[in-house]
Amino acid sequence: MRTQFARLLALLSLSISLLPRAQGVPQSGGDFSNNPEARKLPTGTILVTGAWSSASDSATPLPEGGRVGRNAYSNPYFGLTYALSPDWTEKYSGPPPSDSGYYVLAQIRPADTFKGTSRGSILIAAQDLFFTFTPARNALELINNNKDKLNAEYTVEQPPTLVTTASHSFVRFNYGSPVAEIHWHVLATQIRCHMVQFVFTSRDTKLMESLIQDMDKMSLPHEAGPISGRGGGDVPVCIKDYASGENVLERVDPVFAERRFNPVPVRIIIDKEGKVKHIHFLSAFPDQAKAITDALSQWRFRPYLRDGKPVEVETGIMFGRAPRLATLPSANAPNE
Amino acid sequence: MKTVKLASILAFLVASFFPGMALAQSDPGVQGGPARAGSPLASVNSSDGTLQFFQNGLARFQDIESVKNSPTGNNGLGPRFNFVSCSGCHLQPAVGGTGPATNPQFQVIANGFVSGSTNTIPSFITANGPTREARFPFFFDQFGNPNPNAPNGGVEDLFTVSGRSDAGSCTLQQPSFAQAQATNNLIFRIPTPTFGTGLIENVDDSTLLNNQAANANNNLGISGTFNHNGNDGTISRFGWKAQNKSLELFAGEAYNVEMGITNEIFTQDRPLPGEDMHTGLPSSCLNLSGGGYPEDTTNFATKAGTDQFATNASIPSDTVMFAMFMRLLAPPTPSTITPGGATSIANGRRLFSAIGCATCHTPTLSSTQASNFTSSLGNAPVNAFSDLEIHHMGTVLADNVSQGGAGGDQFRTAPLWGLGQRIFLLHDGRTTNLLAAIEAHDANGSEANQAESNFDLQLTTSQQQDILNFLRSL
Repeated sequence: MRTQFARLLALLSLSISLLPRAQGVPQSGGDFSNNPEARKLPTGTILVTGAWSSASDSATPLPEGGRVGRNAYSNPYFGLTYALSPDWTEKYSGPPPSDSGYYVLAQIRPADTFKGTSRGSILIAAQDLFFTFTPARNALELINNNKDKLNAEYTVEQPPTLVTTASHSFVRFNYGSPVAEIHWHVLATQIRCHMVQFVFTSRDTKLMESLIQDMDKMSLPHEAGPISGRGGGDVPVCIKDYASGENVLERVDPVFAERRFNPVPVRIIIDKEGKVKHIHFLSAFPDQAKAITDALSQWRFRPYLRDGKPVEVETGIMFGRAPRLATLPSANAPNE
Repeated sequence: MKTVKLASILAFLVASFFPGMALAQSDPGVQGGPARAGSPLASVNSSDGTLQFFQNGLARFQDIESVKNSPTGNNGLGPRFNFVSCSGCHLQPAVGGTGPATNPQFQVIANGFVSGSTNTIPSFITANGPTREARFPFFFDQFGNPNPNAPNGGVEDLFTVSGRSDAGSCTLQQPSFAQAQATNNLIFRIPTPTFGTGLIENVDDSTLLNNQAANANNNLGISGTFNHNGNDGTISRFGWKAQNKSLELFAGEAYNVEMGITNEIFTQDRPLPGEDMHTGLPSSCLNLSGGGYPEDTTNFATKAGTDQFATNASIPSDTVMFAMFMRLLAPPTPSTITPGGATSIANGRRLFSAIGCATCHTPTLSSTQASNFTSSLGNAPVNAFSDLEIHHMGTVLADNVSQGGAGGDQFRTAPLWGLGQRIFLLHDGRTTNLLAAIEAHDANGSEANQAESNFDLQLTTSQQQDILNFLRSL
C-alpha cells in the first residue's frame, strides 16, 4: 500500500516536472516586444547540473553537508566541529563530490578583515575509501601514497607520522616546494571509512603551526583515527563491498532508460532488517539516481551482526559503465 | 626641452609614490614575430602523399562557401551559418588556429556574405572582438521569458542566407539575440585552436585514466572526470566540454553547425534548436544548392591533379580533408627565451607545477599510440598542458550548457600549448588578459580554488610574473 502511494507520488511529481515543457512552443526567436519586462535569469548560478550528488532523504546527514558558520566548520555526518581562527572564513564553496569519492568540504582563507601579514589557506577534504583510485585501505596508507607520488617540485619535510590532535590520532605529513617557497602540512584521520584531511598551505610555517595548534579545540567522534575510523556507536558500521556475495539475499539490477558512461558511486545504509534505509549518490544524473533507487528498494541483505545483535551497516556500490582503473580487490578491503 | 624635463619629473613622481605600479605583474600579451604554429608534423612528406593531403586540406580549410553556383564548386552554405569558411575563424596565429584580431564576422555584410537588408550584426560581434558562436542555455516561453525547466544549449547561428542572390526565396529570421541578451539567456564559445590535435586524438584511454589516477589524492581540491562518446563509451576529447570523439566528427559537426553544410556525418540541413521540435526548416530553404544531399560528399570523379598523390587527395570529402589537415598540423613550438628570458620561463614552468596548475593542465601526456597515419603521431609525447578531463569550474565560468556527460559548469581542461599567441581567452573570449583568465578560475563550486589562491595569495609578484611569462612562452 505504501509502495503504491509512493509510486503515485512519483508519477505526480514527474507530471508536474513536465508541465513547463508543455506550456507553449519553445522558441529560439520571435517577436517578444509585447513583454519588455521579461524575466532575467540569475547570473552566477549553476542551473544545469550534470552528474551531481543527491540522496534518498533530506534528514540523514551527508558528508558534503557541513557548513562554515560564524566561528567554526561543523559537519554532522563526520561528527566534527572545527573552530576557526578569527578573521578566517570560507570565501568560495567547493565543487560537488567527485565520481571517485572525493569531497571538498571547506576552503578557508583569511577574510578581507584579516590584519596579519602572512597568508595561508586551509582545505578540509575527504576521500571515500570505498571509491578511491589509490590502492589504500585506510587514511594512513592514503597519506603514505601521497608522499610516494609527490612530483619533482616538492620535497618531503616530515614523512607521515602519527600525532595526537584534539585527543585523537592523526597522521601528519609535511612537504614543500623550494621553488615556490610554499609549505603544505597535511593532517588526516579516518571517520566512517573516509579519510578526512586538513591541508594547511602557506609560506609561513609559524602561521601554520599556530593554525594546527588551534586544531586541538576540534571535536571529533570516538572512532576517529588514521586506521580505526569504521563507524559504529551512534552511526552505522562501514564495511567495504558488503553489498556482494552471500550478503545480498535479493538483488534487482537498475534499468537505465538512457545509456551513459559515467561512474555512479553510491553509499547506502542498510537497516537492521537488511533493507536499504538510505541512499547517497555521490555523483549521478537524476535518471540514474531514480533507476538505482527503484532497484535498491528491492534489494535484501543479510543483516550485519555485531556481538550477536544486528546493527546498521554502511557500504558502497559502484554503478555505471565508465572505464576505470581497478582498485584493491575486495579481499584486501578494510573490514571489521 | 621643457617637455623632456616635465616627463622626467613625472617619471620621478610616479616611481617615488607608486613603486608598486612599476613592479606589478602583468600579462606580457600576445607574442609577436613569426607564427609558432601552422606547419605540418615533421614526418609529413611528399613521397608518401601526406604532404599533398595536408596541402589539399589546408586549401579546402580556406575555401569560401556559397549557397549555390559557386565557380569553385563550394556550394551548400546555410541556410543558417556563423561564417563562410573555416579559416575565417580559425586563423590566429596561422590557419588552423583560433579567432583573429580583426573579426571577420563583423564584416560579413560589408563583404557581401550576408544581406544587410535581412540580417543585422548582433551587438556582441564587434570589429576587434572575438569570433563567436552563440547559444541560449534555455528555451524561451511564448512570452519571451527563459524557461529554466527547458534546457536548450544548441548553437544559434548568427546569420541567414535570406536576401543573398543565390538563396532563392528562402526567408529566415535571425534568432532573438537582443531578447537573449536582455534576459541573461546568452552564452558564447570561441573557436578552439586545432594545432597538435592529431596527437590528442591518438592518446589511448588507458593513458588518460592512468594520468587521472596519478593526479588523484592531490591535496588541492581537484578531482575531474571524463566525457564519453555516447556510441561506444570511449573517452571523448575535442570541444570546450570534450563532447566530440574524433577530428572527423569535430569537422563534420562544425561544417554542419557553423557553416550549414551537410556532409557524410551530418546529413540534414540543421534547423535552430526549437525549430527542430516543430516544423523544421521551410521547404523554400531546403536543398538550396540544388545538388541534393549531402552537400559535401566523397568526390567519386577526381577534380584535379596530375600526380597520383594530388589526385588521391582530391577524392575525399571536405569533412575528411578538414580532419586530415588538423590531424597533420604540428603542435605549437614554445619559445625558450621570450617573453621574460629563459630563467624566468623555466622558473615559471616549475612554479606552475608547484602551485597545482599542472594537476589539471598536465604538461605532458606520455605517449600516443602507434599511428597508421604518419610516424610523428605515434609514440609521441603530448605537451598539451591538459588532462583532457572535464572539471567543475564554478559559477564564474559556468555557461549552463550540458554536452554529453558535462554539466553546465564543467569544462575540458583547455590545452595551453600555443597560448602565447592567442588573443582571446576562456571559452567565450571574455578577456584578453591572462591575469583575468586565471582569476576566473576562482569561484563558488570551482575545483581550481586552491591552485588559484596559491597563485594569488602565496606567490610573490616576481613569481607570478614568471608564471605569466612561462604561459606566454607556450
